Amino acid sequence: MGVYIKLPTPLRRHAEGAKSLEVSAGTVGDALAALCERYPGLRDPLYDGEGKIKSFVRVFVGGKDVAELDGTGTPLSDGDQVSIVPPVAGA
Amino acid sequence: MVELTDWELDKFKRQIQIAGFGEEAQRKLKASSALVTRLGGLGGPTALWLAAAGVGRMIVADGGDVTPSNLNRQILMRGDGVGKPRAPQAAETLKRFNPDLEVVAHSANASESNAPEWVSQVDIVCDTSPDFRERLILNAECWRQGKPLIDGGMNAMEAQLTAIVPPHTPCLQCLVPEVPDWWDPKGFGVMGAFSGSLGALTALEAIKVLTGYGQPLLGRLLVYDGEDMSFDTYDIHKRADCPVCGG
Ligand SMILES: [Zn+2]
Repeated sequence: MGVYIKLPTPLRRHAEGAKSLEVSAGTVGDALAALCERYPGLRDPLYDGEGKIKSFVRVFVGGKDVAELDGTGTPLSDGDQVSIVPPVAGA
Repeated sequence: MVELTDWELDKFKRQIQIAGFGEEAQRKLKASSALVTRLGGLGGPTALWLAAAGVGRMIVADGGDVTPSNLNRQILMRGDGVGKPRAPQAAETLKRFNPDLEVVAHSANASESNAPEWVSQVDIVCDTSPDFRERLILNAECWRQGKPLIDGGMNAMEAQLTAIVPPHTPCLQCLVPEVPDWWDPKGFGVMGAFSGSLGALTALEAIKVLTGYGQPLLGRLLVYDGEDMSFDTYDIHKRADCPVCGG
């Protein structure tokens, strides 16, 4: 199943500059795992030592925070967009 | 409620004309005060648009001096002001544009020691610091005092903006429970036209919260991209374990 992952600016350097990419995944967890398989450099910025998504990284599907849905188990449909949104403080 | 003079009615007639805004909102702006911390590519335009809109009183704060590389975006500064403190230059520019504005300049960044007093003296805070810790200090203080905080930040051509209004919305600490270990405040480029766009939107959100006009970004995070002009808003939520807003 094809879903799109939108990467924030600070993480693109770990993904050869990609802004958006398509992976095949049925859940948010699978999508992020597929992303990190393709670009292993994304593991450190996204996950903590226990393999959990870092506290300040928000993941949205269809405008909703997956923390308010089923977390990494949130199911995805064909064509869904998964947005990874860490905070930024540039000025 | 304060009254508007004939001069003010004339000066602000084009925004008073906006449906749903009107004279009442203009009077509220005149009676209101705002703190803008840091006066760079984001804070400078924020302060300028608040002054232009007719906010009555402003505190502007920045502990730094102007450097040559500030001058592609820090529009309150002067070309001949390099090496001199930012805050007085900003206050002078704001005052020149809007002589009716009452403005106080502090040549210091927000900290745990000055934030309680500064926040207590205003109705709203726009925090535009490149330092997450400074933002979190202002967030905690705003929450303690029940003052709204407009939080805008950017990274290269990507910007984020939300309106934090205690006790209704999530607070900044909900979004930033810990400072990203990989955040580098100077690790990206900035185009003045882009940081300026976020400054304009930050001021607009402050104007909306101060006047009750429109629908501010309450519980919503705007994320936009100046490279491809995509705009998205995401629902954001309080964290049950947030030490500041209590979830
Ligand atoms: Zn909170």
